[in-house]
Amino acid sequence: MLKMSEGHFQQSLIAMRQSWLRDYILRRLLYAVLIAWGVLTVTFILVRVGPTSPADKYLANVAARGQDVAQVTAAIEARYGLDRPIYEQYFSYVGSLLRGDWGWSLSTSMPVMKLLKTHWIYSFQLILLSSVFAALLGILIGIYSAVKQYSKTDYIATFLSFIGISIPNFWLGVMLILLFSVQFGLFKTYYDTGLPLFSLANLKQLVLPVITLGTGMLAGYVRYTRSAVLDNLRKEFVRTARAKGLPERTVIGKHVFRNAILPLITIIMFDLGSIVFGGAYLTEIIFGIPGLGRISFNAVFADDYAIVVAVTLISAFLVLIINLVTDITYTYLDPRVRYD
Amino acid sequence: MNRVQIKRIVRKVGGVRKLLLLVLAASLAVTLLVDIVAVARILDLLTYLYIILGAVAVLYGIYPLYTSRRLVGYYWVRVKKNRLALWGMAFIVFLVLLALIGPFFTVDPTAANFEEKNRPPLGFSLEESVYDAGTRQFVTRVSTGTKEHFLGTDNKGRDLLAMIVSGARVSLQVGLFATGIAVALGTLIGTLSAYLGGRVDNALMRFTDVMMTFPFFLLLVFVVFIFGPNLAFIVLVIGLTGWTGTARLIRSEALSLRTREFVMAARALGASDSRIILAHLVPNVISLIIVIATLSIPGVILAEAALSFIGLGDPSVTSWGMVLRAGQQSLDTAWWVAVAPGIMLFFTVLAFNFVGDGLRDAFDPRSAV
Repeated sequence: MLKMSEGHFQQSLIAMRQSWLRDYILRRLLYAVLIAWGVLTVTFILVRVGPTSPADKYLANVAARGQDVAQVTAAIEARYGLDRPIYEQYFSYVGSLLRGDWGWSLSTSMPVMKLLKTHWIYSFQLILLSSVFAALLGILIGIYSAVKQYSKTDYIATFLSFIGISIPNFWLGVMLILLFSVQFGLFKTYYDTGLPLFSLANLKQLVLPVITLGTGMLAGYVRYTRSAVLDNLRKEFVRTARAKGLPERTVIGKHVFRNAILPLITIIMFDLGSIVFGGAYLTEIIFGIPGLGRISFNAVFADDYAIVVAVTLISAFLVLIINLVTDITYTYLDPRVRYD
Repeated sequence: MNRVQIKRIVRKVGGVRKLLLLVLAASLAVTLLVDIVAVARILDLLTYLYIILGAVAVLYGIYPLYTSRRLVGYYWVRVKKNRLALWGMAFIVFLVLLALIGPFFTVDPTAANFEEKNRPPLGFSLEESVYDAGTRQFVTRVSTGTKEHFLGTDNKGRDLLAMIVSGARVSLQVGLFATGIAVALGTLIGTLSAYLGGRVDNALMRFTDVMMTFPFFLLLVFVVFIFGPNLAFIVLVIGLTGWTGTARLIRSEALSLRTREFVMAARALGASDSRIILAHLVPNVISLIIVIATLSIPGVILAEAALSFIGLGDPSVTSWGMVLRAGQQSLDTAWWVAVAPGIMLFFTVLAFNFVGDGLRDAFDPRSAV
């Protein structure tokens, strides 16, 4: 009778998991492509269903100049293919997006792709700094507050985090400007794009925006970390670790922290999509940071369809990619995720 | 028509409540048709929402609460122990009163009066240099708060208190209506998806995933940009895009219910799918629905405020976001204009969060309150 040794058994388990992981990643990738297609289609339908056409604003100018509107309309429709059947328009729309042609911005007379390439960095630095600030501080305060449960610090932290969650971030931004820029004159009230990215001056002018965007997240992470750490503190492996005589620092730092942190990372990543992008949009508008949100905001008032569509699409795609990466890493890191 | 015939009709539709709702819906549909075809403008869009949601709230909210007073009493005792939730409720009641009867006691929030501009709140004073047409010079004038403008005025001389009251009305309308639509839609999609399963479930959930991929606020800006700003429309858009989270939560809850014995029993007795969903699944997730609704009102109010703050709100109504926008533009002269609407927004959000948390704890049978 053939008897499988312990080592063999484990190796076959690992092989099983690896082949399952490969399948899983493939499936998730395919699925992401499907969702991306859905996002494209929803955007296309919304633009087509809308009461105004992208050419309307342009046509208003034409009429003002006294040109023949009907003739120009026909020319525009031929130029942008608006006279073709709807399914052909749809295919050419998807095709040009895939080729990296994201349209022509009428208000800035530039390809949208070029605009995106010059402005993404401002949004990126803001979002990155705020997330890092919120995550680091949030985790630290959360752990401290859980370990010292029912202490004065814990009460203050819990109370402040409740305020932080409820405070509207755009109002917080305005109040910070009022207090620190207008009253105390500590910061400039405008954003200087001339400063080099990696300079102290640039960091300084990002302080208020980062607090504005980061406070809501920070409060959320404090609350989450606190409850996760408290949950894990009651687990049996913590009692075991303490019974072994491990110092409290190791118990908290290794056993509790590692178990609490993994779900937190997914929450931070998913936050990026639902909260942070909207918050960054508002923060950029308040502080005049020329990121993607700000150019989309300007485009709204200039009736520039191409930019608004592009920024909406690109943030949806970013959310999609972030969620995909988070899902896959989580599955990869957590051996408990089921094989089904 | 005699009594027997009426009874038969009532039984066929499935109860008096449903009959009433159907009659109302039919008459509203006829009015809407007349409105559209004849461009009659009998009712505006917001009034339709008012009537429908009001009817649903009375028939399916207040009436069942009234008939099961004992259960309500039980939960009230549990909620009452949470002091923060009580404070939250008190603030919400205050806000509703402010929105309902406040406009009768305040001046017109849109009336500009440049004589009275930048007047500080009662108890504050402001030094400003104004151009004196008589001497043709700039003179420094000290303006103090007056009783007529309790909270002060903005840079166009509009009364801040009146604007805050008007904003309360807008925010509550948006918060309640949009949440009503979103939660109703989310419940429908969630329960349908869970109960029908298979391909329907797959299709609905994939669509939910697509909608969830759009960052909520960006999608809102996008849609308002395309369709134009109008309060009723903004309410509809928030309602029609904000259902995704609800749908997922309700679906996962309904999934665990659908294999339970009472659903099996109902099916064995020959109940139709719609009856099982409406009479067996929905009532069993109702506590979850109430909590989700309460906790999603703040987000909706903030979304509308943010929209009007960046200038995409309905220009014909004065909302808190719009006041904040006016305040941001005159931060260095009239700080109070930016402070007041933000404080109201903040307390509103806080109040709904407290109430939502209190309700969740009260509904959770495992929590000892």
